[in-house]
Amino acid sequence: MYPAVELVRASLGRYSITGLHQGTVGLRNYARLLEQEALPAVAGNTVAWVAVVVAVTIVLSLGLAQLLNEAFPGRRLVRWALIVPWAASLIMTSKLFVWIYDYYFGLLNRVVAAAGFAPMDWLGDDRTVMGAMIAVGVFVSLPFTTYVLLAGLQTIPGEVYEAARVDGAAGWRSYRWVTLPLLQPALLVATVLNLIYVFNSFPIVWTLNDRNPGFAHDTMITFMYKIAFKSALRDVGLAAALGVVNVLLILLAVVAYLRVLRGREEPV
Amino acid sequence: MPLSGERQPRFILRMASGAMSKTYTLGGNFCSMGSMTRRGLLALVMLGAAALAQSGCGDRDQPRSIKVVIAEYSRDHTRPFWQGLAEQYTRQTGVKVDLQVIDWNSIDQQVSTMIQNSQPPDVLNLNAFSSYAKDGLLYSGDEVLSPKTREDFLEAFARGGAYQGKLYGFPILASARAFFYNRDLLARAGVAAPPRTWEEFVQAAKRVQALGGGLIGYALPLGPEEAQAEWSIWMWNNGGDWKAGEAWAINSPKNVETLQFLAALANTHKVTQVNPGKTNRTDGAFQLFKDGKVGMVIGFSPLAAQLDAERKVNYGVTQMPTNVGTAVTLGVEDYLMAFKKTGNQEAVRQFLDLYYQPEQITRWITAEGFLPVTKSGRERMSGNDKLKPYLDALPSARLAPTTDPTWDKVKLDVQQTIGLAVQPGGDPKQVLDRLQKNAAESAR
Repeated sequence: MYPAVELVRASLGRYSITGLHQGTVGLRNYARLLEQEALPAVAGNTVAWVAVVVAVTIVLSLGLAQLLNEAFPGRRLVRWALIVPWAASLIMTSKLFVWIYDYYFGLLNRVVAAAGFAPMDWLGDDRTVMGAMIAVGVFVSLPFTTYVLLAGLQTIPGEVYEAARVDGAAGWRSYRWVTLPLLQPALLVATVLNLIYVFNSFPIVWTLNDRNPGFAHDTMITFMYKIAFKSALRDVGLAAALGVVNVLLILLAVVAYLRVLRGREEPV
Repeated sequence: MPLSGERQPRFILRMASGAMSKTYTLGGNFCSMGSMTRRGLLALVMLGAAALAQSGCGDRDQPRSIKVVIAEYSRDHTRPFWQGLAEQYTRQTGVKVDLQVIDWNSIDQQVSTMIQNSQPPDVLNLNAFSSYAKDGLLYSGDEVLSPKTREDFLEAFARGGAYQGKLYGFPILASARAFFYNRDLLARAGVAAPPRTWEEFVQAAKRVQALGGGLIGYALPLGPEEAQAEWSIWMWNNGGDWKAGEAWAINSPKNVETLQFLAALANTHKVTQVNPGKTNRTDGAFQLFKDGKVGMVIGFSPLAAQLDAERKVNYGVTQMPTNVGTAVTLGVEDYLMAFKKTGNQEAVRQFLDLYYQPEQITRWITAEGFLPVTKSGRERMSGNDKLKPYLDALPSARLAPTTDPTWDKVKLDVQQTIGLAVQPGGDPKQVLDRLQKNAAESAR
């Protein structure tokens, strides 16, 4: 609890650019937050970033988990390979992708050129930056999510499927009406943890966006850091206010998600 | 001189308020106690004057250790040098050194956290000082430097470390930018000599670009990493400046003209790399030049060292092309600061004295490949051929207005904004107007 208390206290303070505390200002930092011109764009980016990364991750992981649940030659190898992006540091992975996306030196543009298309400045072009970051976000979120869902799949007893088959359900119908409902606890865990994790993710957005001036591609988390240290604001009080807002937002999002889910589960 | 960027915002967990405890000075340097906290004063009263008399004026008031925070200029040289210096200092004084060498990406954040937590360093190395002086956190040169050291500073650098007429930012090292060109590419493009004027520069860039094959005339890094440095140099070489007298003059007609010139390089003449407003120096412009793809770029001695090590590019170093007759370049001065803390004055003074011994400071600056800030250092380093172009450039070098605390915000504002002016559809005048407005507001 101590860091949370400190965060709230800092958000009520007035700080010099050096970090020196110069008194308290009540809620003025929160009011100033709302005046920030960049805030709507940053909020929009955050919603897009979290929603798309989590949704795409869950869908792809469902497929991957299903695949890894089947017996096939080399399964052990694939299971191990999937851990790699999880084990690697996020900063190293992000740096690697900076070079993959680079206009002049990047692997991606070589592929693009070989396919006969014009190269793109993936991390500089306003139309592609968010997509490029989301792709990396999904890439690093897949292993954890897949393993959670795989664990969920393995808790479903084989008899259930047999019973379903006897009742005439197979293929998609079996998946839709047997697997998915029984997978719900695992899906819930995966979604909630990913929501928090992706929302709070700093290194990917920071590293892939570090060539771009301004705040056009920042999320709430990188915006907070820029407010504190990398913009003309340079104000840790204001940044702390955004930090408090961030914590409340993610709490709200998780509670709302759980509510919706519980509402759906209740018998009609 | 940050080199590249990324860091976890761990500060948010450590962000603590905690005002600096107010300090009260007990007149003079009585027993070199300097100042005491209110609680300290109370304790003193309770103990009674007798205790003070008994304790005498020995080493008792020396802190057991001092915290020294240094920015990492290079992996190879920074820590080894300061580690050695710290050990020597401890042998001489008995005071331990808590040495922290921090990379440029996170030093601002970490120092800010220390100050928020009322645990500032005793000695700090950074590229800014005046905000700390303004906040009353620092000793002035009179308080912690020997007269010999103060007199040894080169005049321009001593001026660059002054806040309201007093020296607070002690020069630690300097660097100067210079104009780098790829000899082979310029020759292939039929450019006989490196350009001296802006017209010659545009012609040379066009010719290199026209060679085709993805070659680039001029690599222009106006991304957030160091945009203020690139901008300063072009601005000055068109006769503009950051300020006119005491007032900010960022959107002067001359400066608007300069930024329009840079935007035209990108969008009209098309002689730069793609998205110059979104290209950083280290992993962008320098990388392209080191790869032999670029005709010209503004560099500094560490780039030369990398080029020499890689031996891939046949390059020359010369003065900037200018639009006003006399070429100007950017000098960058970094600082050492001494933080006022109860009872640390003598310990800090001894530490700074040791660093500013001519053989110490020169040994380090030479190892890092930077330029001297002292008269004795300049004498010792004048024979170094590698440094000649930069030493020659020093007399024509100008410093950013680091003595004005407003600069610390203006710099960040420029980094986050100016690149947008050279993007397609960008509006140089509007960008500069906005920077000017923000600067004028911060200055109030």
